[in-house]
Amino acid sequence: MSDSYFPVGPGLGLEENFLSLDDILMSQEKLPGRAESALPRLAVLLGQGAGSAESVPEGSKLEIPLWLAKGLHDSKRRIISVELPKIYKEAWRTVFSADANVVDLHKMGPYYYGFGSQLLNFENPENPEIAQTILQATGGCSVLPISDFVCFLQTFIARFRRIMDSSQNAYNEDTSALVARLDELERALFQVGQKGLNDFQCWERGQASQITASSLVQNYGKRKLAEVDG
Amino acid sequence: GDLGPFNPGLPVEVPVWLAINLKQRQKCRLIPPEWMDVGKLEEIRDQERKEATFTPMPSPYYMELTKLLLNYASDNIPRADEIRTLVKDTWDTRMAKLRLSADSFVRQQEAHAKLDNLTLMEINTTGTFLTQALDHMYKLRTNLQPGESSHSQDF
Repeated sequence: MSDSYFPVGPGLGLEENFLSLDDILMSQEKLPGRAESALPRLAVLLGQGAGSAESVPEGSKLEIPLWLAKGLHDSKRRIISVELPKIYKEAWRTVFSADANVVDLHKMGPYYYGFGSQLLNFENPENPEIAQTILQATGGCSVLPISDFVCFLQTFIARFRRIMDSSQNAYNEDTSALVARLDELERALFQVGQKGLNDFQCWERGQASQITASSLVQNYGKRKLAEVDG
Repeated sequence: GDLGPFNPGLPVEVPVWLAINLKQRQKCRLIPPEWMDVGKLEEIRDQERKEATFTPMPSPYYMELTKLLLNYASDNIPRADEIRTLVKDTWDTRMAKLRLSADSFVRQQEAHAKLDNLTLMEINTTGTFLTQALDHMYKLRTNLQPGESSHSQDF
């Protein structure tokens, strides 16, 4: 079944994959922001008032999903400004660089890498401080975007060994404890590693040459039985 | 290619699939390859443990051949159990080495590597995992570059 099913994978770059279910779920995550101008008749939607005519006042704090923030974010029109979520800020980055393995990325994420990559879209060029930051960034100083991105990479690299080892050593075990703290991206990777190991072990024990009933047929039989019982 | 002629009692070279098939029909006796020998395999295993890189294997399909021959013709192979253990040890050593080198490869953020003496079975077992991990890493690493160029055009 899974061989003939080709889901669209997550984009992981600056652009998401349009048809990737993972990316759609990822872009639902909330982002802290601030309204830079009044937004008429939107208070109900953003949960800040009852009447449909009320407007969101300028400067009010908002929690908006990533897709909306991306749409409204414009360097020239100043509708909203976006802040970094807590886990991408300096304090957490220090934690990550100390030991990335102890962090529960599933609780923090669960799309830590993808969401973080998307956040790089929000560098605000008209803001002179950030402009300065970007200039420095091209010069290679460890300012926000660079350190941010080094941080993903470091996190990913530091956790790579653990994922590889656990996915290839745990044979026929309950892996739910192992994957509980992994980000969605890491989980996919873990599954791939497991599949490689399991396929090899199957072949070694000579199970690959046996023909078994498709899982579809087996499930169908069960359902039939249940219907008869009912 | 052409096979045979087949004469009773005389050695002849055939593909493994045919050898296994004839063996199952009890029409032949298999001769183990030269390297499938306890002394030689011990040497290979010790060499593998000593070296930091992968050492050349006696056959590019050593794992596959061992498995097929031991499964279907273990009565033709002297000390089959010891051979099984030795080959398994060699495999485990090589896989541990592969993991170690993959880890340092990722840590140093290299973009290419040379793995001359890995066999196909070894490459296949970890191949998808490794290429996917490196693909993720590449994307995370190049995330910033298009962003930088588009921002600098805004000024």
